[in-house]
Amino acid sequence: MPIIEVEHLMKDFMIAKRETGFLGAVKSLVKREHIKKEAVKDISFSINEGEMVGYIGPNGAGKSTTIKMLTGILVPTSGSVKVNGIIPYENRQENAKNIGVVFGQRTQLWWDLPTIESFELLKEIYQVPDKRYKGNMDTFTEILGLDEFLNTPVRQLSLGQRMRADIAASLLHDPPILFLDEPTIGLDVVAKEKMRTFIKEINRERSITVILTTHDMEDIEKLCERMILIDHGQKVYDGEIAVVKERFGKTRTLIVDLEESPHSLKLNGGEVYKEEASRFWIRFNRDEVSASGLIAQITETHNIKDLTVEEPAIESIISRIYQEGYQDLPETVKL
Amino acid sequence: MFRFRLYWTFTKKAFLRSAVYRFDVWSRLGSNLIFLLMWGSIWTALYAGREEAGGVSFESMLTYIVVSQFLTGVNGAGTPLWEIQEKVRTGDISLELMRPFDVPLRYLFADFGSVAFYILTALLPLYTVMFIFMDLTLPSGWETWALFIVSAFIGFLIRYCIEMSFGLLSFFLVETGGIVDVFYFAMSLLSGSVIPLWFFPGWLETMAIYLPFQGIYYIPNAIFIGKISGAEILLSLGVQLFWVAASYLLLRFVWNRASQKVVVQGG
Repeated sequence: MPIIEVEHLMKDFMIAKRETGFLGAVKSLVKREHIKKEAVKDISFSINEGEMVGYIGPNGAGKSTTIKMLTGILVPTSGSVKVNGIIPYENRQENAKNIGVVFGQRTQLWWDLPTIESFELLKEIYQVPDKRYKGNMDTFTEILGLDEFLNTPVRQLSLGQRMRADIAASLLHDPPILFLDEPTIGLDVVAKEKMRTFIKEINRERSITVILTTHDMEDIEKLCERMILIDHGQKVYDGEIAVVKERFGKTRTLIVDLEESPHSLKLNGGEVYKEEASRFWIRFNRDEVSASGLIAQITETHNIKDLTVEEPAIESIISRIYQEGYQDLPETVKL
Repeated sequence: MFRFRLYWTFTKKAFLRSAVYRFDVWSRLGSNLIFLLMWGSIWTALYAGREEAGGVSFESMLTYIVVSQFLTGVNGAGTPLWEIQEKVRTGDISLELMRPFDVPLRYLFADFGSVAFYILTALLPLYTVMFIFMDLTLPSGWETWALFIVSAFIGFLIRYCIEMSFGLLSFFLVETGGIVDVFYFAMSLLSGSVIPLWFFPGWLETMAIYLPFQGIYYIPNAIFIGKISGAEILLSLGVQLFWVAASYLLLRFVWNRASQKVVVQGG
């Protein structure tokens, strides 16, 4: 059952055009021209209860704008949004009770209060019953290790601690839906891993629907089965991550170190796209030729000292999709 | 449904938060005192040894200045205009739209907390001492005290609604310097906070009487020193109530427009 429905969603911003020069400055005092910027143009998708979806796209693609329309902060220019049966911008306060939001770039806790007091304030704001509050606090404290900084003012927390506090705060009122906007930004490897484990757990155990925007493809790979890829305010891809990997993941790179340094290497089914002294980078399609076949060809004329076979990271697949579009991209791509 | 407990929590938290910023309390009290001394000396010089001017005795005038500085302290302890603008600019206020509470009310109740802290720890001790050791006019009966407190509270609400409305204009304007100037001009001159309305030239007095700002400083102060008395007090309170309703409607109007027009930085 869809818990989030978005249809033909559009959001335009009017940006004041800045005139250059003295005359321009005087002119803009009287009359200012505006340019329409379409941050989101015609996006539709629906998300089912309990799904964990990666919502990704390059900077300025319209990710945060979409999230902000789902939270009710922004009013769409046209199109419809429904979150748990509620139109967010028409009924912000009701919608607020159904959602938890974490913005990696800014805290939503009260800057100068001890962390625990922010939690207590949220308990009042969302009218969380005492028992529920205590239960949640115990769970979050255990998994996220909140007790080490509960009495520290938020402004003195490290980024990792702040993120942990923020995500716990967003879940205190048991929202069925959680929006995570770059929840791992700026965290170190260990902290990132902890954050991912926590997100995975709450998604599984509480069947919370999660929408995750991020620039870290590892987040997506480790957490989501489905991704919605947007660019220039439009949807580029919506489906399983495995499908994308399957479609574009046929490319392999064979890297060989030879004992001698030949001027060139001619191979059937493989393309040398980079060479450096005795090291060669060879791209091939896994369906057309096998790595062992290529290796056999090479050993006919040369001695191999060392070799590795690499498969494309989702990251490079996606950056190619950004550059060339999903449909236009050949299946074996230069990655 | 008004959830008093929720908003009251903001009052409590803001009270506690103020305790964190002790330096802020002391520095604000310091500047409050400096202004008090300044206005006290200016008015002493203006009276030039006369017992009375404009139908008001020197003692009453001095009381007016002291009470005015007290009210300045009270009104200045809330969220100031620049901070509201800052919160609009950084998107802090916009983000609060996704909380299940009413944003203007939440700030009002938080202000109650910080103002209460400032009154209890700084203003009240200082001004009690001042009233004990200076020759000032005190209201004769408890009714006048009560009416003064009610009037000062309504004045606080008028000031809050106007200041918040002005602050929220940042949603619509990129440059707000002019707005700030207008606000502070009205707040200091037209409110009668530094010069009582009875010293205004006729046309300015008429103008001030038809504006809401006199309800913030002049009316409570005039009640305190007995310049307004009897049935006149009720009339003045009526005027204040009218302005608190009007400025509340203004705030609601600006807030509704602003929350439809939210632009949060970022893609």
